[in-house]
Amino acid sequence: MYGLGIAKGMLMTLRHLFRRPFTIQYPEEVRHVPPRARTNLLWFDERCTGCSTCAQACPDGCILVATSPREDGSLNKDRYEIDFRLCMFCGLCVEACPYEAIQAGGPFDDAVYIFDDMYRDKHALTRMAQAYLESHDYTYPNGKKAPRPGQLVAMK
Amino acid sequence: MDDLEQSLNRNILITPVDYVLNWARRSSLWPVTFGLACCAIEMIATASPRYDIARFGAEVFRPSPRQADLMIVSGTVTWKMAPVVRRLYLQMAEPKWVISMGSCANIGGPFAYGYSVLPGVRLLVPVDVYVPGCPPRPESLLQGIMLLQKKIDRLSISGEREREEPSGDFSSYLPPDDPVRKELESLFPPYPPYKPSPELERSVG
Repeated sequence: MYGLGIAKGMLMTLRHLFRRPFTIQYPEEVRHVPPRARTNLLWFDERCTGCSTCAQACPDGCILVATSPREDGSLNKDRYEIDFRLCMFCGLCVEACPYEAIQAGGPFDDAVYIFDDMYRDKHALTRMAQAYLESHDYTYPNGKKAPRPGQLVAMK
Repeated sequence: MDDLEQSLNRNILITPVDYVLNWARRSSLWPVTFGLACCAIEMIATASPRYDIARFGAEVFRPSPRQADLMIVSGTVTWKMAPVVRRLYLQMAEPKWVISMGSCANIGGPFAYGYSVLPGVRLLVPVDVYVPGCPPRPESLLQGIMLLQKKIDRLSISGEREREEPSGDFSSYLPPDDPVRKELESLFPPYPPYKPSPELERSVG
């Protein structure tokens, strides 16, 4: 029948007029990221034993771990650095870590003005992780509970 | 006294002009249609309705560098592509900005130690904002654009823009008789004359 196609098309247009917009207003509204999505890495000092499994698993070699032995046989982490200039966010370090000390799920606001700001040392990584824990009710990205600041002192 | 007068003049006359100019520049950042690798897919996703780069006035991807303000270097820059990237940057009209998107554009990413990939686009063009990620999520790119807008807000029409021009020295990456190196060096000041090799001319036709 003549004009049926036009009517169908206009009906579709009319339906789109009343649909909810699906734009996410990014800085105010953040889209839910599924668990184990390969986003920014977070490193948790309190879980890490300094075993360097992540550094061995990293195909780019962008994780640097330097340790020295303590009296009781555990390892003191002298340096723990991730080079986010080089990191390709493959998540192999996350899979390799036996203590779940390095996890994906970090924030997105990681753009920088200065090139070397993307090289994050132990303190920068700890700041990032603490900011994440504070904003997520002390829960790790994998859903487990993290110790609160007071408990952390009691553990040591 | 001259200094005081100058600062007064600057406050009264230049600042509103700066404000209006910077407002116009930051709310109409037109990028070049220019994608090199998988980061370009994410750049396209940023322009799609879900993330909607148009909210920042940067949705008009210009096909010509003459009409663009922003270059989003999205992806791996190989040595073969490097002269093209530099030429596109030189063809853009001032004021112009560059976002280096993804690990490959930042330092070469997984190919950082490879023979065929430029270790970081900052060897070619002065980069304003670096966005890490492989590829960065659209949110990260939007964050980069917002950082760039903050940077533009601090600009002034009086005085030079502070930016780090690359040196144009490729002696540690390419041999001296390399055709790519000759072409690249012809694109950096003092712009020495460049004649492509006969094979290259023949292949271009």
